[in-house]
Amino acid sequence: MPFAIPKTIYTGKIKEVVLGRGPKAITVGGETSYPFHLFEGEMPHPPRIALEVYDTPPDNWAEAALEPYRDVIGDPVAWAKKAAEVYGADLIALQLISTDPNGLNAPSDQATETAKKVAAAVEIPVIVNGSGSPDKDAELLRKVAEACDGMNLVISPVVEENYKQIGAGAIAYKHTVAANSPIDINLAKQLNILLGNLGVPDRQVIVDPTTGGLGYGIEYTYSVMERDRMAALTQQDERLQFPIICNMAKEVWKTKEAKAKTEDAPLLGDAARRGIIMEAMTATLLLLAGADVLVMRHPEAVRLVREMIKDFSA
Amino acid sequence: MGQHKVTFHPSDRHIFVDEGENLLQAAMEAGIHINASCGGNATCGKCKVKIAGGAVASPMHTELSEAEYADGYRLACLSTVTGDVDVEIPLESQVDKSVLALKGDRLAAPYLLSPKDIFQLVQGWDIDPTVFKRYVELAPPTLNDNVSDLTRLTHAVHKQHGINGISSDFRVIMKLSRLLRKADWKVTVTLVQTRKGYKLINVEPGDNRHQNYSIVVDIGTTTIFGQILNLNDCKVAACPDGTCDGATLFALAEASDYNPQISYGEDVITRIVYSQKPGGLKKMQETVVASINGVIDELLKMSRIDRSLVSHLVVAGNTTMTQLLLGIDPKYIREAPYVPTANLIPPVRAVHLGINVGDHVHVYLFPLVASYVGGDIVAGILGSGIFQREALTLYMDIGTNGEIVIGNKDWLASVSCSAGPAFEGAGIKFGMRATRGAIEEVSINPHTCEPMILTIGRAKPIGICGSGLIDAVAELLEAGIIDQKGKFHQNLPTKRVRKREDGYEYVLAYQNETRIQDDIVLTEIDIENLIRTKGSIYAGCKVLLDSVGLGFKDLEQIIIAGGFGRHLDLEKAIFIGLLPEIDARKFIFVGNGSLLGARLLSFSRELLKETERIALMMTNLELSNHAGFMDEFMAAMFLPHTDASAFPGVQERLRARREAA
Repeated sequence: MPFAIPKTIYTGKIKEVVLGRGPKAITVGGETSYPFHLFEGEMPHPPRIALEVYDTPPDNWAEAALEPYRDVIGDPVAWAKKAAEVYGADLIALQLISTDPNGLNAPSDQATETAKKVAAAVEIPVIVNGSGSPDKDAELLRKVAEACDGMNLVISPVVEENYKQIGAGAIAYKHTVAANSPIDINLAKQLNILLGNLGVPDRQVIVDPTTGGLGYGIEYTYSVMERDRMAALTQQDERLQFPIICNMAKEVWKTKEAKAKTEDAPLLGDAARRGIIMEAMTATLLLLAGADVLVMRHPEAVRLVREMIKDFSA
Repeated sequence: MGQHKVTFHPSDRHIFVDEGENLLQAAMEAGIHINASCGGNATCGKCKVKIAGGAVASPMHTELSEAEYADGYRLACLSTVTGDVDVEIPLESQVDKSVLALKGDRLAAPYLLSPKDIFQLVQGWDIDPTVFKRYVELAPPTLNDNVSDLTRLTHAVHKQHGINGISSDFRVIMKLSRLLRKADWKVTVTLVQTRKGYKLINVEPGDNRHQNYSIVVDIGTTTIFGQILNLNDCKVAACPDGTCDGATLFALAEASDYNPQISYGEDVITRIVYSQKPGGLKKMQETVVASINGVIDELLKMSRIDRSLVSHLVVAGNTTMTQLLLGIDPKYIREAPYVPTANLIPPVRAVHLGINVGDHVHVYLFPLVASYVGGDIVAGILGSGIFQREALTLYMDIGTNGEIVIGNKDWLASVSCSAGPAFEGAGIKFGMRATRGAIEEVSINPHTCEPMILTIGRAKPIGICGSGLIDAVAELLEAGIIDQKGKFHQNLPTKRVRKREDGYEYVLAYQNETRIQDDIVLTEIDIENLIRTKGSIYAGCKVLLDSVGLGFKDLEQIIIAGGFGRHLDLEKAIFIGLLPEIDARKFIFVGNGSLLGARLLSFSRELLKETERIALMMTNLELSNHAGFMDEFMAAMFLPHTDASAFPGVQERLRARREAA
């Protein structure tokens, strides 16, 4: 009798979600097996990578991360174009950090204007991230949704505290929401249910399970994503069958290991190389756990991850 | 008493009620909404209905014009059903038929559960109290018959009542000689059965047999309940207007108070920590005793029974409460591997603990199982009769600590989870115990968001008790006023949902309809607390069932104990996910489970052995180091539950409601 490799039986499928519009729109999701288990099922759409664009010059980035963008920092439109055209991003992840109430606390109208310009300047899909303050985001992201009517942005993060306001905007102006919950499969599912009850169509929802950086709690994210996919694919848990986005760059690049200068931590080796590898490793782990979209920072790390995706998909 | 059919139009729903039932109450039981915001106190005038035919007794009221009265309009809260009756619900109270159709059919299954008592729950026990009185007449001593007074007395008891081997309490001997002579050798003795035989604990002059009382006390983490029992006919004796039998027991036959230890910490852990401070243990012991004395005083006042006639005291409490009452250091309850000092505690003289009763009275304490499964739960298992049944039963005691037991007469397993005191009214802005003026039933009109509230005693509302909270949250959810996370929707067409400094809230009763100087509201924080409490209990049940390889569907019976009120609305408790969605006929509500067992033990001494067997048979599962509990808890922190497939009926109703909206 010939040997048969034991296979997992899948009963579910991840929903397909279209991001952006026009010829450069992309589709994510659609998996019928665990990540890269191509011998068991399909992964019709490869994982996609977004590059970050900050709406205001970041003040604490590592040298290595700043290097590729030095000429465009302070000009989000030029930055987005460079990320798209020079570094080949699949999506732009615009981080509206200027609006952070604990930071610059810029008015949301101003940030909305930036979002509108960036979204108009590139053809690829755009993720618009608020600062993470539920109240401010409720106001900001609703305005962004309205200003960018019909552009099918990814509006992020949508949390339990503001899903009603932002969700309503996403329904009215046809955007996709990134449902963000604090590393817990039940909370993730609850938010998906609430969004569904509100009337946000399933094809406009992706899940952001909250990401930790390598060495900084990534195992929690990994477990939650793994369980999410198990429930979605093998237990017919329909409210978890959504693509996953990991907003990971900011987590990786704030760690000591990614940021410390070579001369300050000689034992850790070359700073630039170190940060890039930290980012690529984090990305790899998240892809293996089931990520459909990664938000990354360094073009070299992106190159490494793309190579990995290619190898796994071959 | 005859049963009458009450039919409500235009929905054509009907219900059968007893003669004399209040019409507003009948509507609530039938699931019919009638606006009412004063608790059924005839002050708001909103519960106007038209009697289209049939018999009710209902007076005139200032809210009704003479023309209206002549036309058949009545206030539902003032109307009593005296025959079959047809009632028309006015437009402002009406709810769509389609919406109503989604509600459970209350004719088919009993949804509003009233507490059952030991007479219905436990089989084959004799009324034979542990502490009993016997009347004896002694022959006075002579020069020829000059045995000691005590020997004379015990001989007489033996000869006249066949009771042998009596030992005596020293205090009885102290007063014996004078008492016997003063009473002309005719006395009543009080005997108690102990493990070693009978003990003479009191002698009273004359025939005092008809006056033999016992007090039972439940020391909860949040609430202390007490009842006074008449040991002669085994009834609860503290009803102000006569005696209460098993069926009406819950009425007002008891006194209760919040456990004053709350000021040292809301949960057992913080109290154990406090007891470790210098003088802390003594302080905790004294406070709880002071409160027990308060409850006893109230019981004696209500029943007009003299303190000296109380001859027995039975106390059930969780392990920490029991140890604190006795002044036993609870330190090791809190520390792994969580061990209590003793399981079986011998009877203790009440006066030694500072309890204000006669010095002959002993306190019988229910045996303990584990650090977080105490005498209260043993009492509940005893009183609910699980220990003698074949049927696989889940017993849930919903208190500050949710204690859950599964099993039958052959095996028992338990868990304990920290649920919080929401159902006892603590940690809720307008929460209160289930006493007069507490909102106990709530219905909310999904179109107008107007409430229908009923209070205990039909008094103007003061606050809301556990059963009212369950109703209110279920109705807010079904009416689409809150989401499944318990958060208020905004921009609803009602003034009752409003934002205050603590966030959003729903007004159950405006100030002029209440007996307090404030609007009675339910806040988002209250709802959060309730969800946490119900989530913890549901998760505890789930983990316990999982660990013995069973599911909710395997259960033959679910017994619910807890101090949320006089009734439990099953449909609403299931709607919020406090109870699993299974056949309504499997549920039994027993009210306060500890008192149930304590009463039984007072009434029947045979059960002493059973009580100890229950305590020793129970296997406790520790949740504090259980990997799955936290996960189940998070899943249960949703209305009704994150796993929608566990609540298909509720899910269907929510879906239909959303589509109707």
